[in-house]
Amino acid sequence: MTQSLTLENISAHYGTTQVLEDLSLHIAEGELVSLLGSSGCGKTTTLRLVAGFLEPTAGAIRLGDRDLTRLPAHARDIGLVFQTYALFPHLSVRDNVGFGLKQRKLSGAERTKRVDAMIERVGLGELADRHPANLSGGQRQRVALARALVIDPPLLMFDEPLSNLDAKLRVDMRVEIRRLQQANGTTALYVTHDQEEAFSISDRVAIMKGGRIMQLDTPEVLYSQPASAFVANFVGFDNMIEMEAVAEAGDAVRAQIKGGSMIELAKEQFTVPSKKFIFAARPEGLSVAPADTIGGIPATLGMRTYIGRAYQYHCETAGGTVTANGPQATPFNSGSTAMLVPQPDQCCLLPVEP
Amino acid sequence: MSNRLRAWLIATPAILLVFIFLGLPVLATFVTTFGDPKGPFATYSAFFNSRFRMTVLWRTMEVALITTIISVAIGFVTAWVVARMPSRIKSLLIIAAVFPLLTGVVVRSFAWLVILGKNGILNGFLLKIGVIAEPLSMLYTQGSVIVAMVYLFVPLMILTLVGVLEGIPQDMTDAAASLGATPAAAFRQVVLPMAVPGLIVGAVLVFTGSFTSYATPQLLGGERQMMMGTFLYQRAMVTFDWVGASTIAAVMVVVTLTTVLIMSKVARKLNPMAG
Amino acid sequence: MKTRIHPVLIVITILTFLFLLGPLVVIIGSALSDTTYLTFPPQGLTLHWFTNIFEISAFTRTMGTSFMLAIGGTTLSMLIGIPAAYALARYRVELPAFLGNVFVLPILIPEIVLGFSLMKSLASGFGLPIMAALLIGHALIVLPYTVRVVGASLNSFDFSIEEAAVSLGCPRLKAFFIVVLPNIRAGIIAGFILAFITSLNDVSISIFLTGPGVSTLPIQLLAHMEQFFDPTIASVSVLLMGVTVAVMAVVERTLGLTFLTK
Repeated sequence: MTQSLTLENISAHYGTTQVLEDLSLHIAEGELVSLLGSSGCGKTTTLRLVAGFLEPTAGAIRLGDRDLTRLPAHARDIGLVFQTYALFPHLSVRDNVGFGLKQRKLSGAERTKRVDAMIERVGLGELADRHPANLSGGQRQRVALARALVIDPPLLMFDEPLSNLDAKLRVDMRVEIRRLQQANGTTALYVTHDQEEAFSISDRVAIMKGGRIMQLDTPEVLYSQPASAFVANFVGFDNMIEMEAVAEAGDAVRAQIKGGSMIELAKEQFTVPSKKFIFAARPEGLSVAPADTIGGIPATLGMRTYIGRAYQYHCETAGGTVTANGPQATPFNSGSTAMLVPQPDQCCLLPVEP
Repeated sequence: MSNRLRAWLIATPAILLVFIFLGLPVLATFVTTFGDPKGPFATYSAFFNSRFRMTVLWRTMEVALITTIISVAIGFVTAWVVARMPSRIKSLLIIAAVFPLLTGVVVRSFAWLVILGKNGILNGFLLKIGVIAEPLSMLYTQGSVIVAMVYLFVPLMILTLVGVLEGIPQDMTDAAASLGATPAAAFRQVVLPMAVPGLIVGAVLVFTGSFTSYATPQLLGGERQMMMGTFLYQRAMVTFDWVGASTIAAVMVVVTLTTVLIMSKVARKLNPMAG
Repeated sequence: MKTRIHPVLIVITILTFLFLLGPLVVIIGSALSDTTYLTFPPQGLTLHWFTNIFEISAFTRTMGTSFMLAIGGTTLSMLIGIPAAYALARYRVELPAFLGNVFVLPILIPEIVLGFSLMKSLASGFGLPIMAALLIGHALIVLPYTVRVVGASLNSFDFSIEEAAVSLGCPRLKAFFIVVLPNIRAGIIAGFILAFITSLNDVSISIFLTGPGVSTLPIQLLAHMEQFFDPTIASVSVLLMGVTVAVMAVVERTLGLTFLTK
């Protein structure tokens, strides 16, 4: 009995500070949406509002056709996995997992059946009688997951659930979370500051900043077509060069690099958003080539570092300092001039922000 | 010099202070109890066969136990409310609890002498409003000792429990709520069990403190409500019966240490972190 | 969002704090009363009873003794306790775990038993002067406070700072004084002041160790109360409460009063 989640024009304040501004979000049934952003962007506040630990100053929260806005937290029926796991230290794994069912006044036999099945399902069968203090980080994470899943909630929420695990376990657990969420078809809201984690696990990702959603889309679209400089920067477009479209040249647009030379951008690969625009590229989106190459951004190479598979250069261009990658086979010397050739699939054009 | 040797050397003066001026004298007191000319255990059998001494022991236990129960009850409720107050009010309340705690036992017991005395404030007030015609004798009763003891130990209990309750992360009650527990259920099933070990530690402090107190029973209980502390002093400094006094001392040490050992074992067993 | 608190619990809390502070207000009130007996609310106001304190030599003398004893005993326990706390915090691996409990013994053994035992062994057995016995007794009962409070400061001290000083050529002992001590200053001040007030208010040890000609203020008060019942005692009590206020101010400025809830 999974349900969709709708946030309508939510605003929230801590005292007089506004932390969320007119935020709207719809998560379809069975969909997993991540809120992604650095600390203070409002992602955790959003989750705590939905959970009922905070009250919005304006707006409405709906789960299916139930209005949650003024409902106390314990009546909301949402499975929540905490960043700290928040396992009850005085209860065994079994009692932790059974806590929610006990609140729902389920009969003992039914409760045992469901709890045992869930503990089996997350692979903790052997450890059911242990206390949280005697579990490893990954095992605690599984208990937290089982505890939230066993109440069969219409909505699951995760508050940076993997941030306390080491890198290897983090990858395993996110696959596990995705598997369990999809198997149940439960709607899910996932909060994280880790871009890779958000992209790998989500149907859609909302990138947040200053209490607002900057862009909400599938990971693929966000990765290749960010809508703003902020999002572009967030997904790794480290180089931003201001340009101005000056003329059409057949199936290309001639653009002038701020304070420098011309470059031709093929229309098939680039859509110029406005006369003045920003050319954004990942380091691998600018390929370092000999200075006599045609079609690129002239640069003077600075410091060279080896990053495995490629060399990375700090380069001076007319449009500012950029980072570009060069082939491993032919290293360039620091101080030499070169041409930075755009690789269209790792570059994008953005409107200049007011 | 190895770190181990260095560590021991640095700690030595303190170890010596405790060993020479606490270990040896207390040991000597125990040794004294076996020096009765009538046999090594004569003084103990005299103690446990004397109706008067046993009355003092049971009275002391009773007063300590009642004091503990009342202090825990008042302290827990108050600490729970204090812990939930906005931080400015909370710090004011903590100041209000620390102030009596740091004020001396004599001063605090004296206050109750003024309040409960025959010509005291409480009698004056009750006479004025006409509830009683004659002043009540409230001093030198078990009740007066218990009131003053509770007064002595409630601040300690409040401060201990505020610490314990604040140590329970907000995430715990949030988690309980997200799983459908009403505030009352979350309190019963999560907050209370997690607070129990700290509660026991506080209760042991109150029990041993009131069991071994001297000034309060001396001032508010007098001869009529003799307790172990006042009894020890009387035997040692009034009748100069040092063997008898040592026996009382030994019984006090055994009762306190047993209480501490048993209860800290219970607390450890109930400690959620131990598993 | 804070959970709502049941009004009954709020009422209990208010009553508790009235219970805690009321008696102290009574003392202050009766110290100001213009009568020769203790009464509250005061009948007419006077400061006569405060000046009267200084006309009773037993009070002025024991007040001096108590302050000297508190300062001396606390200093002695600091000199011994700070190194012990340092050893416990710095050499956690090298020292056995039970050692920490050794310094808590003066709290674990009933104070009155300790007082009696010290009297029996020191004053009577070895004929130690009363003042010396008192000093040792007080140093002993405040030792747990000094070790614990200083220890709390040391536990949050990063010892790699000390190692940094040594690696820069500073001798170990000097490093302790110029690097460690300044960083645990708050703990030392708070520990000193808490030990001081504990010693100043002590009854159970002092009652056995005071003797002819030497007494402390609380013991003198106790004796006075059993014979006289005039507002002078109340005014001495008010003075002692003043000391408490000063102590609280110092603790608040160093570790913060919430330290006492830990």
